[in-house]
Amino acid sequence: MLETRELTKKFKEHVAVHNVSLYLNEGESVGLLGPNGAGKSTTISMMSTLLPPTSGEVHFKGKDALKNPQGLRQVLGVVPQEIALYEELSAYENMKFFGRIYGLKGEKLEKRIEDVLELIGLTERKKDAVETYSGGMKRRINIGVTLLHEPEVLIMDEPTVGIDPQSRNYILEMIRKLNREKNMTILYTSHYMEEVEKLCDRVYIMDHGEIIASGTNQELKDILSSDETIRIDVESLSSEFLERLSEHPVVQKVMQEEQGYKVIATKGDDLLGDVFDMAKSAHTKITGIVVQTPTLEDVFLHLTGRKLRD
Amino acid sequence: MWTVFKLQWQRLFKNPLVVLTFLGLTVLFVNFLGGIQSDQKIITRTYSEELTIEELDEWITKLNEDDTFVFEASDYDSIYERIRMNETSFALELNEESYRFLVGREDMELSPIIQHVDQVFSREKRIAQLEESDLSEAFELQTFIELTTVLSDDESNVSQGFPVAILAGVTFYFSAFSIFYLMINLIEEKKMGTWNRLIFSPLSKTKIYLGQMLHYFLVGLVQIALSFIILSNLIDVDLGTNYVPMLVVILSFIFAIVSIGMFIIGIVSSPQQLQIVIPIVATSMAMIGGAFWPLEIVNNRILLFLAELMPIKHGIQGMMGVVNQGSSVSEVFVPIATLLFMGVFFMGIGLNLMERVSEKSSL
Repeated sequence: MLETRELTKKFKEHVAVHNVSLYLNEGESVGLLGPNGAGKSTTISMMSTLLPPTSGEVHFKGKDALKNPQGLRQVLGVVPQEIALYEELSAYENMKFFGRIYGLKGEKLEKRIEDVLELIGLTERKKDAVETYSGGMKRRINIGVTLLHEPEVLIMDEPTVGIDPQSRNYILEMIRKLNREKNMTILYTSHYMEEVEKLCDRVYIMDHGEIIASGTNQELKDILSSDETIRIDVESLSSEFLERLSEHPVVQKVMQEEQGYKVIATKGDDLLGDVFDMAKSAHTKITGIVVQTPTLEDVFLHLTGRKLRD
Repeated sequence: MWTVFKLQWQRLFKNPLVVLTFLGLTVLFVNFLGGIQSDQKIITRTYSEELTIEELDEWITKLNEDDTFVFEASDYDSIYERIRMNETSFALELNEESYRFLVGREDMELSPIIQHVDQVFSREKRIAQLEESDLSEAFELQTFIELTTVLSDDESNVSQGFPVAILAGVTFYFSAFSIFYLMINLIEEKKMGTWNRLIFSPLSKTKIYLGQMLHYFLVGLVQIALSFIILSNLIDVDLGTNYVPMLVVILSFIFAIVSIGMFIIGIVSSPQQLQIVIPIVATSMAMIGGAFWPLEIVNNRILLFLAELMPIKHGIQGMMGVVNQGSSVSEVFVPIATLLFMGVFFMGIGLNLMERVSEKSSL
């Protein structure tokens, strides 16, 4: 339905996005995962025809969307990362304006505003200025104005940044509903891997402007099928213990966390016994140890050597 | 386009403080500056190479009968030097049968002075003709002459108690302020991301820009119109009924200002920087362009050259022509064309710069 072919964007000498090819099938929910600065926003800016690429193509339903953007724009909804609303106006006034620019008017517009307000749970506060809303409410109306024209393709750029868990769950549930009930095609960018795991059928992982892996959640996790993740909690962090862990022959990656270490190691080898020995010789007291199945976060760590939120 | 246009008005009605403040400041400043400058007289240096000193003094006395103008005796050499040094823009040479003006540079006050001198000369000529004929009723002749003098004042309009240049200058200055300040919204929209939402939509960029600019344009027009209406009712100023040329001058001025605003926001990318740049640009533009004092008192050639580049100078010049001399559109073609040229020039560059900024900020 929507496809990019070898998209590249250069800003002078800096290559922000390099040869990115990805596709979205109708009704699919796809995640674009990557740390800050990976090139996700630049990629979606090009996909939504906001930013012209240096090279590459964007196709919508087989047609070149860069040459004829109107076809895509008519059915595209983009939820930006920032609260892109007129905050001095009410939710209703914002919706009325954004509905009108998509050609909605009269009763149809009123009905759509009513439906969307119901969906985002802001009917009661529709007459209040957006500037008086909480962070979560602003995020919901930020999504709401994008849904007015019932887009076929919805691109969401980190729509849950900086909000409380309750609002976050509300938004995630809403997105899932849109995808399943309205068959909306969704591209969801985030650096919260748990959101992407929960919402998306397929995932692209980006780093330094390139797609470094793609597939279904399971396919990506299978990259680590021969590995396991061990979380070791310690009483106090020790550089000696970290050094010993890193030097162990079956350990592939070690990441220092707040209360301990996360280790990605080859499955099957008896690492746990060695871990206790290493802790003892480094005078470190282990307070907990958990062996986990790999997450997308672990996949990212494995592929880049960095955490998603670095 | 109309959706964007209406939205901007909706936003303005939610926060009308900026425009109302500048409207209030216009009334206040015009009263203040007008009060200071309404008593100022225009001095015309006068010399003769044919008349005796007594004859020249006699003519100067006659020319000074009208309180609006002041004629002062001088000599050719010092006048020539003053014009050469740009300290005065014109002078009057009186001869036995004729007069002529030495003009160093364009001056808005020259036209009414020419009219005045012409009227005094015609009057004296008629007196001389009547004296030569056999008339004995000198009293009636005096009455006739007085009536002629009063009529000449009404025609030129320059005797009204208030300087039109100040009224137009200050009004234009504060309207430029309002337009520039409202244009900060455009930068804020780009920062907030609402601009990108518009670009994602089926609306074309041209329509988005037109909707925005038409709004700034109309705000400027409404502010100028309201200022003129309020001020002409509050103080002793008659703007006349020459509405069409007046409207053309005002519209050309606003076009130039909106374009300069686009140029500024093309260069300055943050609202905070704009809040610093706007007062600097608007105030220096007004000061150099003669909004607060007549350019006739400025004799620095560089400043006078810079004044030519200021839309406010051409706006005032147009308004002076329209109000004081009842000029038609074609007669104030030069200031109108200059303003339109400035508008096209800055709009072209401004839009280009804005698009470059948009690309950088869409990351």
